[in-house]
Amino acid sequence: MIGGIGAVHLKSANSGSETSTDLLTGTGAAPTGTQVASTFAEALNQAATKTVNTLQHAEQASIQALKGDVDTRQVVDAVMGAQQALQTTIAIRDKIVSAYLEVSRMSI
Amino acid sequence: MEPVNLFDLATRQSQWLSVRQSSVAGNIANANTPGYTATDVEPFEKVLDRTAVRLSATQSGHLGGATEAAFTVKPQEPTGPVMPSKNTVVMENELMKAGEIRRAFELNTAVVKAFHTMLMTTVKS
Amino acid sequence: MDALAAALKVAASGLGAQSERMRVVSENLANAQSTGTTPGANPYQRKTISFVSELDRASGGSLVEINSIARDPADFPVEFQPGNQAADAKGYVKMPNVNVLIEMADMTEANRSYEANLQVVKQARDLISMTIDLMRNQS
Repeated sequence: MIGGIGAVHLKSANSGSETSTDLLTGTGAAPTGTQVASTFAEALNQAATKTVNTLQHAEQASIQALKGDVDTRQVVDAVMGAQQALQTTIAIRDKIVSAYLEVSRMSI
Repeated sequence: MEPVNLFDLATRQSQWLSVRQSSVAGNIANANTPGYTATDVEPFEKVLDRTAVRLSATQSGHLGGATEAAFTVKPQEPTGPVMPSKNTVVMENELMKAGEIRRAFELNTAVVKAFHTMLMTTVKS
Repeated sequence: MDALAAALKVAASGLGAQSERMRVVSENLANAQSTGTTPGANPYQRKTISFVSELDRASGGSLVEINSIARDPADFPVEFQPGNQAADAKGYVKMPNVNVLIEMADMTEANRSYEANLQVVKQARDLISMTIDLMRNQS
């Protein structure tokens, strides 16, 4: 299973392989410990935070690469992970927005 | 059996291939150095058996070549007669290894690129 | 340091070492007939080169360095050339202890090693390029 797109977990995802079943991780930084998300909103919140962390990780990796000597593959992985995370978040955001609009258009 | 992250596995393999490449480079450069013993990395299967496939660089912002230390590079057993200079490098084997490394690396990057593109396409549409 | 960058550094040291070796061989070949200038004087003495491997702390690679460039202590062959400026009282001239065939074989070996190191440089560079290419052409 690749990167687990769309698998929003409402339960703890502390399995042996941290990255395979978490939302939006792709090749980004592994979560240091997932909390149980009790509501959908919390799950979305976690996903968004994870995306931001992934993006920051990619940025730091790129800065270090520009400044000096860093493992090329790690920078590439970080950047690709950020791309994946960002795209996924955007897609989810679009779906949520269109769902909201649809609901708001429903006649009472 | 736990699901394996393709990207993580690919990264691990590319790191292993890079370490192997540096070992081959050392062997070729020292092909005429007296007393030099040819080295090689432990097989990739052994690496996989040893550690479950997960990200090694776990903290965001923590970069550097620390993960390569996980692969042991050890001197190869000399096969066949040893030269009087005690140099055990066989150039043909090293060039063959280099070819294998290149093939595996190309496959590795191709697979990663393909799945990354597939991911992006899926998510965008 | 990046393992591929280490491979590049190691291969570059190999190129340098083999170049130095070729320089020594060509010096020997060029001076294969260089006798002394005064009667009974010693001719050109063959040079030999030896390598040693150094572990580079920064990259973790085994670089190859020149250990020494020494002189071959083998005896000088003697030829009968009474007219030569270096001829001794009996008309014998000491010639350089350079064997052209050995030097040519060494030159071929050095060439082969140089090409192999060059291949490593190209490959390491290509692998790095491939890795960076992963990021490219993403829409």
